[in-house]
Amino acid sequence: MARDTVKNVTPAEEPSSKDKQKAKEENEAKTDGEKKDEVEELSEEDLQLKNELEMLVERLKEGDVNLHRPALESLRTLIRTSTSSMTSVPKPLKFLRSHYVTITEIYQNWPPGDNKLFLADILSVLAMTYDEGKRESLKYRLQGSREDPGSWGHEYVRHLSTEIGQEYVSRTEKELSTDDLMALALEVVPFFLKHNAEADAVDLLLELEAIDQLPQYVDKDTYARVCLYMVSCVNLLVPPDDIQFLRTAHQIYRQHDKYTEAVSLAIRLGDHDLIKEDFEAAGHIDALLQKQIAFQLGRQQIDIPEIEDEDLKEILSNSHLSKHFIALAKELDVLEPKTPEDIYKSHLENIRPGFTSGSVDSARQNLASTFVNAFVNAGFAKDKLISIEDGTTWIYKNKDHGMLSAAASIGMIMLWDVDLGLSHVDKYLYSSEDHIQAGALLAIGLINTGVRNENDPAFALLSEHIEKPKAMMRISAIVGLGMAYSGSHREDVQELLSPFISDTTLNMEIASLAALSLGLVFVGSCHGDITSTILQTMMERDESQLKETWGRFMGLGLALLYLGKQDAAEATLETLKAIEHPIGKQVRILVEICSYAGTGNVLKIQDMLHACNDHLDKEKEDDLHQAFAVLGVALIAIGEDIGAEMALRTFNHLMHYGEPVIRRAVPLALGLLCASNPLLNVLETLSKYSHDNDADVAINAIFAMGLVGAGTNNARLAQMLRQLASYYHKEPNCLFMVRISQGLLHMGKGTISINPYHSDRQLMSPVAIAGLLATLVAFTDTKTFILGRNHWFLYYLVTAMYPRFLITLDEDLNSLPVTVRVGQAVDVVGQAGRPKTITGFQTHSTPVLLAHSERAELATEEYISLSHVLEGFVLLRKNPDFMEEDKE
Amino acid sequence: MGNAQSGLPPLGGPGDDKNKDDKDKDKKKKWEPPLPTRVGKKKRRGPDATSKLPAVYPTTRCRLKLLKMERIKDYLLMEEEFVQNQEQLKPQEEKAQEERIRVDDLRGSPMGVGTLEEIIDDDHAIVSSSTGPEYYVSILSFVDKDLLEPGCSILLHHKAMSVVGVLQDDTDPMVSVMKLEKAPTESYADIGGLEQQIQEIKESVELPLTHPELYEEMGIKPPKGVILYGVPGTGKTLLAKAVANQTSATFLRVVGSELIQKYLGDGPKLVRELFRVAEEHAPSIVFIDEIDAIGTKRYDSNSGGEREIQRTMLELLNQLDGFDSRGDVKVIMATNRIESLDPALIRPGRIDRKIEFPLPDVKTKRRIFNIHTGRMTLAGDVDLEEFVMSKDDLSGADIKAICTEAGLLALRERRMKVIAEDFRKAREKVLYRKTEGTPEGLYL
Repeated sequence: MARDTVKNVTPAEEPSSKDKQKAKEENEAKTDGEKKDEVEELSEEDLQLKNELEMLVERLKEGDVNLHRPALESLRTLIRTSTSSMTSVPKPLKFLRSHYVTITEIYQNWPPGDNKLFLADILSVLAMTYDEGKRESLKYRLQGSREDPGSWGHEYVRHLSTEIGQEYVSRTEKELSTDDLMALALEVVPFFLKHNAEADAVDLLLELEAIDQLPQYVDKDTYARVCLYMVSCVNLLVPPDDIQFLRTAHQIYRQHDKYTEAVSLAIRLGDHDLIKEDFEAAGHIDALLQKQIAFQLGRQQIDIPEIEDEDLKEILSNSHLSKHFIALAKELDVLEPKTPEDIYKSHLENIRPGFTSGSVDSARQNLASTFVNAFVNAGFAKDKLISIEDGTTWIYKNKDHGMLSAAASIGMIMLWDVDLGLSHVDKYLYSSEDHIQAGALLAIGLINTGVRNENDPAFALLSEHIEKPKAMMRISAIVGLGMAYSGSHREDVQELLSPFISDTTLNMEIASLAALSLGLVFVGSCHGDITSTILQTMMERDESQLKETWGRFMGLGLALLYLGKQDAAEATLETLKAIEHPIGKQVRILVEICSYAGTGNVLKIQDMLHACNDHLDKEKEDDLHQAFAVLGVALIAIGEDIGAEMALRTFNHLMHYGEPVIRRAVPLALGLLCASNPLLNVLETLSKYSHDNDADVAINAIFAMGLVGAGTNNARLAQMLRQLASYYHKEPNCLFMVRISQGLLHMGKGTISINPYHSDRQLMSPVAIAGLLATLVAFTDTKTFILGRNHWFLYYLVTAMYPRFLITLDEDLNSLPVTVRVGQAVDVVGQAGRPKTITGFQTHSTPVLLAHSERAELATEEYISLSHVLEGFVLLRKNPDFMEEDKE
Repeated sequence: MGNAQSGLPPLGGPGDDKNKDDKDKDKKKKWEPPLPTRVGKKKRRGPDATSKLPAVYPTTRCRLKLLKMERIKDYLLMEEEFVQNQEQLKPQEEKAQEERIRVDDLRGSPMGVGTLEEIIDDDHAIVSSSTGPEYYVSILSFVDKDLLEPGCSILLHHKAMSVVGVLQDDTDPMVSVMKLEKAPTESYADIGGLEQQIQEIKESVELPLTHPELYEEMGIKPPKGVILYGVPGTGKTLLAKAVANQTSATFLRVVGSELIQKYLGDGPKLVRELFRVAEEHAPSIVFIDEIDAIGTKRYDSNSGGEREIQRTMLELLNQLDGFDSRGDVKVIMATNRIESLDPALIRPGRIDRKIEFPLPDVKTKRRIFNIHTGRMTLAGDVDLEEFVMSKDDLSGADIKAICTEAGLLALRERRMKVIAEDFRKAREKVLYRKTEGTPEGLYL
């Protein structure tokens, strides 16, 4: 079929009706199959056309200057009016091919003047089909009359823009001026934009490295498509182009007063000043819009301390979250607390009689129930075990550290509701049992996660206990502080916790957790002082301390400081090379993966795979960094769809070839990659791993299943877990993990998601990533942490937890039920027309729940949404143009 | 070949696990978990979901698409690098070889061929062998359970009759015959005229397969199929042949009457198979000639045969625009009695374009004459214009017949040249035969 595909010529502008008819006739007379040498087979019209063209060329050859002009005119008409089937060369161009060289010669001999310019134009068009990489089309274009290139049709412009790109590259190599190219490109760009080819316009400017020129040409009809295209390119571009794209798109949105879109790009850029500027600018036009943006910022936990307005302050501090969440629960009729047994549904497990739980230790089971209860009833402020009158009985059903987790679970149940939560926790703070007291401290931290309170109760209460002599209390207070102020960048927390890191007399456990807490609080801030403190202590501490398993959290704390900051971590990485202890290598990997989290950077993934290449002997060398490298593949690939899908393949290979340490990390990485997104193929893979002969792989896989299904109530996964429960009913560790996963699956009774991406999967919440990572890193040594005494690491998931709801509010911030359509999101980039953004939708009335890949749109014209993404809190305003349809 | 492939899983977990099993044999055997049984839901579409490459959107040509493609390539390169390194560090081939030999031992030889009747649980099934009796046997663990479905051909151990493999290639031999192995020689150049028709068929059949992005840019769905209709001899089949000659897509051709089978249910099954094969080999073009054999209007009929034919058509309707979307499968149908076809068959959505083949006009007739006389030796007195300009209703086939007849007449008289007289006689003859039964000059 090669001969059909020579060139693709479609006229951009409709020729006038008369021309069209003529063109059609030519067209009919044409056979695609005929070969060029079979001249005698030309039909009459073709022959006539050919003769005419030849005559015109002859006339140009002659000396009679007066005839040149009309000849050129008619040549132009002939070329412009020709149409043909979609994939073949238009007739006139085909016939003129043999004369191309002649015409170029004529052109050389002509004196400068109008006619010469005219001829250059025609040559430029002709060159399009005979070009062999010489870029003659562009050459003659630049010499020509500079009339609108669009008049020669769409294909010509496309061809021209290709040549501009090539020429630009070759000229910049030779360091020649490219001004004329730029000028031409800027002529072409508006044409593209006008003709629905925004992708071509953006591509051309990207090639000329002049994307900042774009905003001036974009108008209100085109900006949405242009920005959509640009934003979807961002993930795949190499720096600094991606930043350029985001800034340009931001500028365009601002030009068209699309503040919510602009703010979400500013958040993506991580530019605090820009966010503030947008926020304030929005306030000048519309107070309601500003509130909407405040909701957006609240979701990302960005604070703007300068704000005076009480309403805005309240929104930014997320203090409304608990109220609305419980209202949602009421609406969905899930307020009634659930017991762990409701979740296990053990009557559906087919345990053979005679095997009933005699051998399983009940403390383990109670502990599992504690966690399940905490996760399932998270945020509802009501449950049937802990928050009831005699909640202490349940706490005493747990042993030692179990009591800590049990007491802390109050925090999970009272999540986001500071006042009520503290009153519940209060009585345990004065408990005589150390474990309970420590648990209460942790609970305070949990309650305050993600919300801010003016009175700052967490800081006041926890800082009080941080100096207590008992290590257990200290640890709980430190961890609690880390959770409560995660992402807040509060300096007083730093002042409080830094001494714990630098004091080398303290044991590794406290120092590492302090580092981790600071990492959470200052996530993605590149805080210099903390960095140097952590590095200092790593160098000063002696080898036996660094070897401790807690060391990984110190590294993680350091790494979290650089979350998503890419190059900013360079200096730290260099310093880490100086640490000869194996921990240096681990921390290097951790810092590297965190700094490139969510970027999809292929080179970094390659580095990680290189790290996984070696088969290390665990006896002689430390191989923990390989586990982090595996997590890194997922962490870097997350947030970019193509990369995420390809990473699944990579994990397959890692599982096949890897040493145990790698194989154990693969399920965790899968869990991170698809958190709260139960893809069928991932579930199947994990289900396979959950029967692995290596018990650690199985345990991690089971936990990963919980992560993947977290808060989705996925029935298929629930079934799988029930089967696992009966399969592992004699192995307490596995069974414990199955129970936890079941709890995760029904997290918040199916209303809470832990996916770190929100706002239409555009924005990554750094706090959520940090929380997930902390939990997953704990799983790289399950024996010590989760299955040992420190099961409270599971509570780190709290920073990632957020209701997956859509709540519509009216102008007074009261809930306003409207009908919305909810369906699978469709990628509409580059599609023509007004494609549907969701598919397979159902109509609901708000508030509704949205799954990971779902999107909502308003089903009624009565209201206008102030946010571009219907997710979380959305403010609605009455549509002034709305007309009630006639009702009978 | 099917058995060899199904024996060992291609990559990944299960193989690995087995090695481990060998290592710690003393560890007591675990009770195997009751995995969710997927019976009869054979994954037919493409490779395994875990190894499938992600789909790339948008389909228009733009940098975004390029970037996405490059991203996939980067990942594939990394995978290659990783696997190569691992193979160098830890060669797996010998182990694979060893395992293969062991599996072959377990299978034994010769193996019997049987049919899977029913899957009882994960490792037991009821099979029937060709000799008659049915057995309750075990399925060996290395058999790929995903490929098992009731009714498929399986390999049985010669003594224990246990399932040791699956025979995969179960395409109906009837369908594989339809696949066009050798392209016909007729090309577009052999068609006189019909420019409009050629363009239409190209737009709706060829271009969607080669340039899907053009349609995407325009925001339309390319047509699914076309029907060619017109009086006999106007070149419908010829055009289809030219399409087959030109395209690199799989070309399946079938005549409507082939779909009528002896046994109940065989016809619809054949249609299903036909489209399944087409989809497996996509992009592909299905050409159904003489569609009126099965596609006539439905009516109440008492004869079982008639009803079976109608059911075959209903299956065809479903395949054309049913619940499952057909990917890159285009359908061309040809008939000379479009008015008798069932309206459901040719409604838009199933057949989006109806291309009429009219009798050739003067210009076309001239070209057809030129094509057919191109290789004949004509005497100087032959003036083709005489025939071209005549008012007779000549189809392309008639013209060819005239030319052939003229050649035969010349042959009869042992002349090396065809003279004008031959042509005149030939025309008389052809036209006489054509108008046989309706006496000329009889006015009613």
